[in-house]
Amino acid sequence: MDTSLLLSQFLSGLSRGMVLFLIASGLSLIFGVMNILNFAHASLWLVGAYFCYSFWVLLQGYGFGMWVSIGLAALTLAAIGWVIEVVLIRRVYDRELPEQLLLTYAMVLIIGDLIKLTWGVEDRIIARPPLVEGPVFFFGIPFDSYFIFVILVGFAVAIGLWWFLQKTKYGHIVRAAVFSREMVSALGIPIPRIYTGVFVLGIFIAGLAGGVQAPVGSITLGMDMAIVVQAFCVVVIGGFGSLLGTLVGSIIVGEIYAFSILFWPQGALVLIFVVTAVVLIIRPWGLFGTPMRA
Amino acid sequence: MKRYWWLGLVFIVALILPFVIGEFWVHVAVEILILGLFAVSFNMIFGYMGQLSFGHAAYYGVGAYATGLLMVKASVPLPICLPASMIAAGICALIFGYFCVRLTGIYFAILTLAFGQLMYYIIFQWYSFTGGDDGLQGIIPPDFLFSATAYYYFTLFVVAAALIVIWYISESPFGYTMRTIRENPDRTRFIGINVKRYMLINFVIAGMFAGLAGGLWGPFNRSIAPDLCNWHQSGTPVFMTVIGGPLGFFGPMVGSVIYTFLMAFVTGFTEYWPLTIGLVIIFVVLFMPGGVLGFFEERVKIIRARALEVGAGESSEKENS
Repeated sequence: MDTSLLLSQFLSGLSRGMVLFLIASGLSLIFGVMNILNFAHASLWLVGAYFCYSFWVLLQGYGFGMWVSIGLAALTLAAIGWVIEVVLIRRVYDRELPEQLLLTYAMVLIIGDLIKLTWGVEDRIIARPPLVEGPVFFFGIPFDSYFIFVILVGFAVAIGLWWFLQKTKYGHIVRAAVFSREMVSALGIPIPRIYTGVFVLGIFIAGLAGGVQAPVGSITLGMDMAIVVQAFCVVVIGGFGSLLGTLVGSIIVGEIYAFSILFWPQGALVLIFVVTAVVLIIRPWGLFGTPMRA
Repeated sequence: MKRYWWLGLVFIVALILPFVIGEFWVHVAVEILILGLFAVSFNMIFGYMGQLSFGHAAYYGVGAYATGLLMVKASVPLPICLPASMIAAGICALIFGYFCVRLTGIYFAILTLAFGQLMYYIIFQWYSFTGGDDGLQGIIPPDFLFSATAYYYFTLFVVAAALIVIWYISESPFGYTMRTIRENPDRTRFIGINVKRYMLINFVIAGMFAGLAGGLWGPFNRSIAPDLCNWHQSGTPVFMTVIGGPLGFFGPMVGSVIYTFLMAFVTGFTEYWPLTIGLVIIFVVLFMPGGVLGFFEERVKIIRARALEVGAGESSEKENS
C-alpha cells in the first residue's frame, strides 16, 4: 500500500464527498430553516442530471455545451423548486413531522415515475469536452480530470453559501430564522417568503449538483434512492443547519466510502450507517450542530 | 363487547371470501393480511408510542430471512419457523431499539432509518449466508398449505391470533402507559415509570410482530430478496397507517386493504403504480389528515350533530307554539 495509491483514493473520496455536499447542503439548509426533511431532495438532484443531459443534447454542436447545460439545469430546478414550494410544501408548514415526511416521500415516488415517463428507462451518457476528458497525473498517478472540477464546484458552493449566510442581509435573516421563527416574524419579515427563498435556493443547489453529476458517469433511474439516505447521514453527522458540519460530514462519508472500498469492499455502505448511528447515539445534534433544537 | 359485533361479521366474510373470488384475488387477500399485520405492528410504535419508525422493514426482513433460511437450508417445518422469525426479529429490535428509544422525533426517525439501511446492506452484502441480491428462492410451504386458498386460511388464522394479542396488549395497562408516554413523557416519568424501558419493550414487541409478518411472506411469495429490508419497504406501513388512520386500532388494517387492493388493481393496467400511490398520499395528507377512518368518523360526528340540531330545533319550535 503506497502513498500514491492512498492519495488517489483520497482524491476520489473527496470528489464523492463534494457531490454529497452539494446535495446535503440544500437538505440541511431547508431542514434548518423550515424544519422540513425533504426526502425528495435527491430525486430533484436526479431530475437536474437528466435536464443537464437534455440541454447538452440540444447544445451538442457547441464546445461549451456541457458547461452551459449544467447552469441551465440548476436554473430549471430552481423554477421547479419554486412551483413545488408554492403548490405543496407551503400547505404543510404547520403540520406534524410524519405528514411532512410523507408528503416529500410521496414526491420521491411521483418524481421517479415522471423521470421514467419523460426520459425513459435507458441510461444516459454525456460525452465530455476535451478539457475534462482525460486523466490528470498527481505524482504519476492518473486521476479523472473532471473530478477536479467537481471538487472545485463543491468548495465554490461552500464558500458562496458561507458568504451568503455570514455577509449578506438575507443570509442574516435566514440564520436568524434557524434560531427563532417567531422573533424574525415579529420583526416584520415575511416568513413565507423567506421559506420559499430558502427552498428554491436548496433545490437550485441540488439541480447544480445534478448537473455536475451528469457527466461523471451514466445517468440511471433509481440513482437517487441510495444517495438520499447517504445525504441524510451527512447531515446527521455534521449537524442539522450547520454549513461547516455538512462540509465535514460529506468529506467524512466520501472518504469512508473511498477507503473502505480499498480495505473492505463489502463493508463500505455498512460502515457509513454504523458511523451515522454512533454519531446519532452519542451526539444527536451532530458534530457541529447545536443541541438547542434536539 | 357489543360494539364489536362487526368484527365477527368481517371474520365471517373473510372465511367465505375464497369461495366467492378468483385465485388472483385470494393472493391479494393474503397480501392484505400480511402487510396489514406489518402495518399494525408499525402502528404500535407510531400510533401508540407517538414515534415515527422509518426502518420498520428491518424487522420484517429479518423475520422473512429467518423463516426463509430455516426452511431452505435446514428444512425446518413452517410452524416452528414462524416463532423463530419472531424471536430473531425481536432480538434485532432489542439491539437497535436499545439505542433508538433514547431519541425522539426526527432523530428517532433517522436512527431507525439508519439501522434499517444497515440491516439492508448487511443482508445485501453477506452473499455466502443470505444469497445477497439474488435473494433466496424455493421457499415452498408444506403440502397442506400449498394451494392459495389453504395458505389464505393459514394466514388468516395466524394474523387474526396476532391481532387479538396486539389488541389485548394495547388495551392493557401497558398499552395505556404507551399512550401516556405519547402524550407526555415527562409526566409519565414523574409518576415513576421507566419511560425508556417501556418504550424498548414496546419496540421489541412491535419488531416481533413485524418479524411474524415477514415470516409469513416468504412461503407465500416462494422467494425473498434484500429489498424487503430497504427503506421503500419501511415506507409501506407508514402509507397504510396514514391512509387508514393512525389513531384507531384497525386504521392500518383498513389502510392495507385500500393500499394493496389499489395496487393489485392499478398494476393491472399501468406500470406507473408509484405515481398513483404518490398522488393518493399527497391527497390524503392535504385533505384527509386523520386518514380514511378519521375522515369517516368526522363525517359521522357531523351527521350526528346535525341530527341532534334538527331534533333540538323541532323540540324548541314545539315549545314556542
